[in-house]
Amino acid sequence: MKILITGHRFAPKEKLFFFQNEKTTASKRKKLRIKKGLLLLLLLNVFQAYAFFDTTVSLNEKHKSLSYLLEKIGRSHQIHFLYKDEDLAPYKDASINVYNASVEATISELLKNTQLTFYVKKGIVVIKKKDLPTAEFVSNASFQYKSFSNKADDEQVVGSVVDSAGKPIAGAAVTLSNGTTVHTDDQGAFNINANKGDVLVIRMVGYQDQQFVYNGTAPKIVMTAQPRRLEEVVVTALGISRKKSSVVYDVAEVKGSDFTQARENNVANALTGKVAGVDATGISTGPGGSSRIIIRGNGSLTGANQPLYVINGMPMDNSVPGGSSTPNGLVGNVDRGDGIGGINPDDIESISVLKGGAAAALYGSRAANGVILITTKKGRLNQGLGVSYNGSATFDNIAVYPDWQYEYGQGNDGVKPMTKDDAIATGRRSFGAKIDGSSYMAADGQMHPYSAVKDNLKNFYRTGKTYSNSLSISGGNSNLTYRFSMMDLNASAILPNSKFDRKTFNLNVSGKLSPKLSFTAMAQYNYEKGTNRPTAGDALGNPNWLPFMIANTADVRWMKPGYDSLGNETLWNDAAIATNGYFVVNKIKQSDDKNRFIGQFSAEYKILDNLAVKGVISQDQYNYNFQYILPYGTAYIPLGQMQQMKADLAETNSMLTATYNPNLGENFTLNVLGGVNKRKFSNKQINFDGLNFVVPYFYSLTNLQSYTTTPLTQHTETNSAFGSLDLSYKNLAFLSFTGRNDWFSTLSSDHNSIFYPSIGTSLLLHKMFHLPDAISSLKLRGSWAQVGGATPDPYAINIAYSMQNSSTLPLQNVSSTTIANKNLKPLLSTTTEAGFELQMLNNRLGLDFTLYQRKTTDDIVTTAISVASGYDYSILNAGALSNKGVEILLSAKPVMGTNFQWNTSVNFAYNKNRVEKLTDGLNLIQLGTSTSGGAYIDNMLGQPYGVIVGTKMLRNDQGQVIFNKNSGFPVQSGLEVLGNGVPPYTAGFSNDFKYKNFSLNILIDGKFGNKVFSVTDVYGTRMGLHKMTLPGRENGLQVSGVDQKGNAYTNTIPATALRSYYDNYKSYSEMFMQDGSFIKLRQIVLSYNIPFKPTSLIRSASVSFVARNPLILYKKTDNFDPEASITNGAAQGIESFGLPRTKNLGINFMVNF
Amino acid sequence: MTNFLLYKKKFLRKGSVACLLSLLIGGLSSCTKNFEELNTNPDATSELTPAYVFSLAQYNGAGDNLMLLMGTMQYTTSFNDVAGFGSKYIASQYASSNTTYNNAYHNEVNQINMVLDKLRQDSASNHVEIAIARIWRVFCFSRLTDLYGDVPYSQAGEGYSQSNYKPAYDKQKDIYNDMLNELSSSVQLLDKNSSTFAGGDLLYKGNASQWKRFAGSLMLRLGMRLTKVDIASAEKWVKQAIGGDLIMTESDAAIIKNYVATGQPINRNPIAYSLWNADYIYANGTSNPEGGKYQEVFINRLKNYNDPRLKVLSVVYVNGVADTSMAIQKGMPSTLSAKPANFVTYSEPNQKTILKQDGPLYIFGAAEVQFLLAEAALRGWYSTATPSDLYIAGIDAAMKRWANYGSDGNISNTEIEAYIHAHPLQTSGSMASQLEQIYSELWVELVTNPVESFAYYRRTGYPNLTPNNYPGNATGGKIFRRMLYPISEQNLNTDNYNAAIADQGSNDFMTRIWWDKSN
Repeated sequence: MKILITGHRFAPKEKLFFFQNEKTTASKRKKLRIKKGLLLLLLLNVFQAYAFFDTTVSLNEKHKSLSYLLEKIGRSHQIHFLYKDEDLAPYKDASINVYNASVEATISELLKNTQLTFYVKKGIVVIKKKDLPTAEFVSNASFQYKSFSNKADDEQVVGSVVDSAGKPIAGAAVTLSNGTTVHTDDQGAFNINANKGDVLVIRMVGYQDQQFVYNGTAPKIVMTAQPRRLEEVVVTALGISRKKSSVVYDVAEVKGSDFTQARENNVANALTGKVAGVDATGISTGPGGSSRIIIRGNGSLTGANQPLYVINGMPMDNSVPGGSSTPNGLVGNVDRGDGIGGINPDDIESISVLKGGAAAALYGSRAANGVILITTKKGRLNQGLGVSYNGSATFDNIAVYPDWQYEYGQGNDGVKPMTKDDAIATGRRSFGAKIDGSSYMAADGQMHPYSAVKDNLKNFYRTGKTYSNSLSISGGNSNLTYRFSMMDLNASAILPNSKFDRKTFNLNVSGKLSPKLSFTAMAQYNYEKGTNRPTAGDALGNPNWLPFMIANTADVRWMKPGYDSLGNETLWNDAAIATNGYFVVNKIKQSDDKNRFIGQFSAEYKILDNLAVKGVISQDQYNYNFQYILPYGTAYIPLGQMQQMKADLAETNSMLTATYNPNLGENFTLNVLGGVNKRKFSNKQINFDGLNFVVPYFYSLTNLQSYTTTPLTQHTETNSAFGSLDLSYKNLAFLSFTGRNDWFSTLSSDHNSIFYPSIGTSLLLHKMFHLPDAISSLKLRGSWAQVGGATPDPYAINIAYSMQNSSTLPLQNVSSTTIANKNLKPLLSTTTEAGFELQMLNNRLGLDFTLYQRKTTDDIVTTAISVASGYDYSILNAGALSNKGVEILLSAKPVMGTNFQWNTSVNFAYNKNRVEKLTDGLNLIQLGTSTSGGAYIDNMLGQPYGVIVGTKMLRNDQGQVIFNKNSGFPVQSGLEVLGNGVPPYTAGFSNDFKYKNFSLNILIDGKFGNKVFSVTDVYGTRMGLHKMTLPGRENGLQVSGVDQKGNAYTNTIPATALRSYYDNYKSYSEMFMQDGSFIKLRQIVLSYNIPFKPTSLIRSASVSFVARNPLILYKKTDNFDPEASITNGAAQGIESFGLPRTKNLGINFMVNF
Repeated sequence: MTNFLLYKKKFLRKGSVACLLSLLIGGLSSCTKNFEELNTNPDATSELTPAYVFSLAQYNGAGDNLMLLMGTMQYTTSFNDVAGFGSKYIASQYASSNTTYNNAYHNEVNQINMVLDKLRQDSASNHVEIAIARIWRVFCFSRLTDLYGDVPYSQAGEGYSQSNYKPAYDKQKDIYNDMLNELSSSVQLLDKNSSTFAGGDLLYKGNASQWKRFAGSLMLRLGMRLTKVDIASAEKWVKQAIGGDLIMTESDAAIIKNYVATGQPINRNPIAYSLWNADYIYANGTSNPEGGKYQEVFINRLKNYNDPRLKVLSVVYVNGVADTSMAIQKGMPSTLSAKPANFVTYSEPNQKTILKQDGPLYIFGAAEVQFLLAEAALRGWYSTATPSDLYIAGIDAAMKRWANYGSDGNISNTEIEAYIHAHPLQTSGSMASQLEQIYSELWVELVTNPVESFAYYRRTGYPNLTPNNYPGNATGGKIFRRMLYPISEQNLNTDNYNAAIADQGSNDFMTRIWWDKSN
């Protein structure tokens, strides 16, 4: 079963086919009728004749498929065939008319007008394509073995299986063509019932499959060891495929098929838990949301930390139009989705994760944080019709409900509201009377039972639904292949009226214009449309506040529809800024659409056999429109507000490379690559921001009392030259050098050029030394690399002045609140990496181990500075940051039977991050703040990246709380580090089970060691929903401690002042810090491969039950999902009224024609 | 490592070859030729125009009114305990209380610094512009330090020019000393022959003699502010101010008049706009988003004094129609915690005057000068007029200025005379009681300038306001003595912040600033 010849890629489905097909054939057998007796003349072809069966064939058939005819012959004459279905598939209209012809002649006749040929080996007729060398497929299990023996009396066959040294092999699977399987015992012996002429297939992990025709003598089968994993090929920088053994750094590859069943709308989220050292986080912003991926820790203090995304070797854009949402954002603070989210998982052949500097060095400055390389599917020859369909439907429901108190209901000072005004004033306060089932008046002006309402989240949100349909057509001939795909995604969020739609069209054509000149072209068009994407963060226009914060005796549905007969917002609480969620859903209009085009064209010319040049041009561009209408009648902005944004963004790369492989004799091989690249980036954006509609309820830019227009025009260019040298000695020792020079337009001419080199080596110890038998292979690798990176936004080096929108006099101001800095230069990221890859027990147990160190120096830091400086930010080459870590991947194949197989792997990564240096005199950099400023995300000297900083209740040395006698409140401490916003530990545990036609994939992952500051808990406490606010409701709260002079202090907070007392808890951030560690059951995929007759139109089909995030196995946060981040920006570690995270269940159906 | 360096060198040479290759694909003559042009922002200019930036600094400086102080000074209130109203002294005002600090530095302070840097570079023929900018800088800083106490002053706004990202806090004493000296020396520059900002100057269109009056009046205000802490300095500066030119008449008052009713928010009267935008857009008396109304204390004063300004400032909505009848005006108590059933019956600001977005903004009116002179006369520092006459002149100016808002602001001479007649300065009373009369009048006058009202209240203790002891308030039921520094200062300017705390006292609403020495 084990196929690792990745030079020719066969999708896993095809690998499975071998075994399934035998069953299929058996079941169809009865239907076959054997026609005999039509005697017609044989048209002879002269060919090398040798008898291998004493039999003749007579057959007259017209317009049948070739496979049908072969099956018919096989069935009648007990002939065994070996062929690939896809090879036969094109020949659907074959005819034959033979009489008493030899088998050879018959087959020859059948194949005479095809591209196929045949030969006979070990009594089996092997049919192959003419251009395929014979040796290629002897052990290639993607050929299907067809046995057509007639039933005869079974014989007891006793045989043995040994390796090439004659040692018995235990546990080998011996399978008969009818599917019966036995395993060899300790002596390598097996015992099976078979007929003469039956074919036995023997499989053992680490060995090539063997086939054996039972001829009546006890077989002794000699297994030859499989070529070890040496031939495994991975895609590396610039899309170059390399033998994995020669790669000098750790590279992880994930197959595209891993993303197509249990789908994530944003394919990057699907990397969660799959690759050691990759910290992937989906954002709680609904179906069109973006992702945040961090590889080996955050590498820049304030610059980009996400990896570079590369598609087919060329960089693509991953920007979020208008920028990321923020944890404390106000109007229009929505996550508009990133670039990777626009990639159709069905188009992905594989994703390679280049983690270290050496891996990514050829990409230069933007690869400092690693590279995610996406290789898209290309067209293929002769695959049946070449049509594939994948459809899925998934349903989302809230994963975690808050655990509020339900003892005291809506109201203030222990009193429930009895008037509408009181009810509105206390609409989000649960400081009322004890819940007793009596009646009270709610904010809708109606009397209702004073009883706990626990289902407000369920009642407000709906079941989210995502339907995706994707269709692809692939085909071609030996000179030209094509693949075209279409995908339609329709997602309705759990938030009513919130939708996301995406259509993706992808065309890939490759071909040879001459033996020396080949080309590949790809065109992708995306249309993405978001409607009412959920707002997160602060209360203004954020729909999530209503269901989370409504008093615990009120039913959220009483606040429907959120507007009065005129269309004005109806109030549900005392603060106009806490918008009625139904008003948000029904009246606030937000929409965006994006037209994106990715085009690539590459041409390669082989000047000599060992010298080739290649030119590639690639553009990723989009036009984006965003509109946000806060309607007339919104409580907090009564006359309304309107925002529009139009953006045209384009990234264009032109690259020219030359590769040369000089002949250095038998022992050495050398690959030389040199190239140049020009990157052009442009972003033209216009923002309209208007206030106060003149004509009520009419929404147009023309109807605003005032609006401002802010243009943003950014152009940058980076020119680069790069090269690499890869030297190998006897395929057991490898040495690799790269170098790259970048010139940046965004820096001043004194500082805009930087060169960075890398070097790496790998050694295959099992080839160099005699290692114990248990070790199948052992590779050591080590590398050192420098990458310059994180160049600033354009125009950061010169001060400039802009005119400000004014209705009277001309007004001018400095253009940026960030201080311009002429002396900026690129940062430098230096990575050292060492590791080994060990395969044991015939490759059944594997261990990859990597240690790395990554140090960023001269980091370009944009930091918030004291506002008293006159500016909000400075930008400096100030910082140094280090990441040290370990990555472990343990993989095993505990069970590899013919019917049942189990593959499992555990990955684990630990990253220790430390802020080594900030600029002189700055002790921290602020990355973000929470709503109402309860917590800050800071980079502080000596701390890990992005710690959560906040206040505590001040305590004396004895731990007693210090109270302010004036106010009666505990004294607030200064700002302190309260926890790590980024998890240092990540782990994944993946299991693949296969039983006959069923397969089951279970992925569990976890992150550990981080904290989350919960704004939901802050407000839950302020509003009396949090269980923390229960003490003192009846008789007041006794507090004791010391006063600021150190004297004993006791006080009773009367029940009437309890709300203010608990409200003030917001002054102590520590009370809302929670452990963010979790273990989640991330994914379950249970698939059934529907068996089809090989001749059927349908080549394969499967149906799957899929689940994403179905269960949280471990968490410490009571009221929210620990992954509830609302931004893909730097400020991680704050939860703030995002859309609740969901668990997703669904089905997936795939069929190939 | 040497190998690497060699490699690097070699590669660099290779790099230039590669650049030539890039010519083939990119049409570039060199790798970096067009970079400078590419990296020039097409939406900005490298040239600063002082008048444009100065206009903005004036708009911004005039716009920094800490609106929550309208509640603290008991002009307005809300039934709600939302942060925007300072009438309940609640802890959530923490964040609102530092908005002026957060705005002033990167707006007016930085802008004036840029203007001054540019003017000083350009030539020596712009003394008047420099003087005007310096005077406006003093005005802006006086409001900052009066709110917060010690603040960054001498190193403020030097982020670009000096790369100073952590400006030190100056002691308020030093700030006052420097501000008064600045006024003193700027005034001398105003006599020189020079270009002016002309129309770009929102206050006086570049009129140097009027700027002298503004500077003198500012010196009077700031000098008098020192009476509690340093009476000798107060006397010195007040006398110096009196010796110079002052805003004695409405025609010299510092007023920004070129606001518009619709258009960019920065071009609208900032007091009117923020009140209107926060609470009074609907103009129906019931739908006020933040629950704001005039406070009982303010309306009662006007009613009890039969003050003709009541009908100018205040309306009650009757069936959705604004009614200015004195009899039905009623202020809302500040002790409420829920919307009262009779919410509509409470008075709120008049759309035609105080909420008029193209109405004038009084930066410094003649009334305040008269009242200050009245105090100076009481203290014996001024003898040209009697306290009583100055008090009357102050009231007269305070009443008449509303005519600037249009006909709805007209108060007749008869009404003014009647008012003056009914409420003469009780010159037989103690100095304290006379000051109480004077500063209670000034309190009414400063309804549109709560920042100054708050400063006068802290210095003089007048009017004698009864604090609102709202349950769970943050001050123990006392009126604020200062506003709070932003917590970001603690985070980003730690050492200087800590030094300021050590000098002044904790970052608390009740900590007194330097000139507010408790007696």
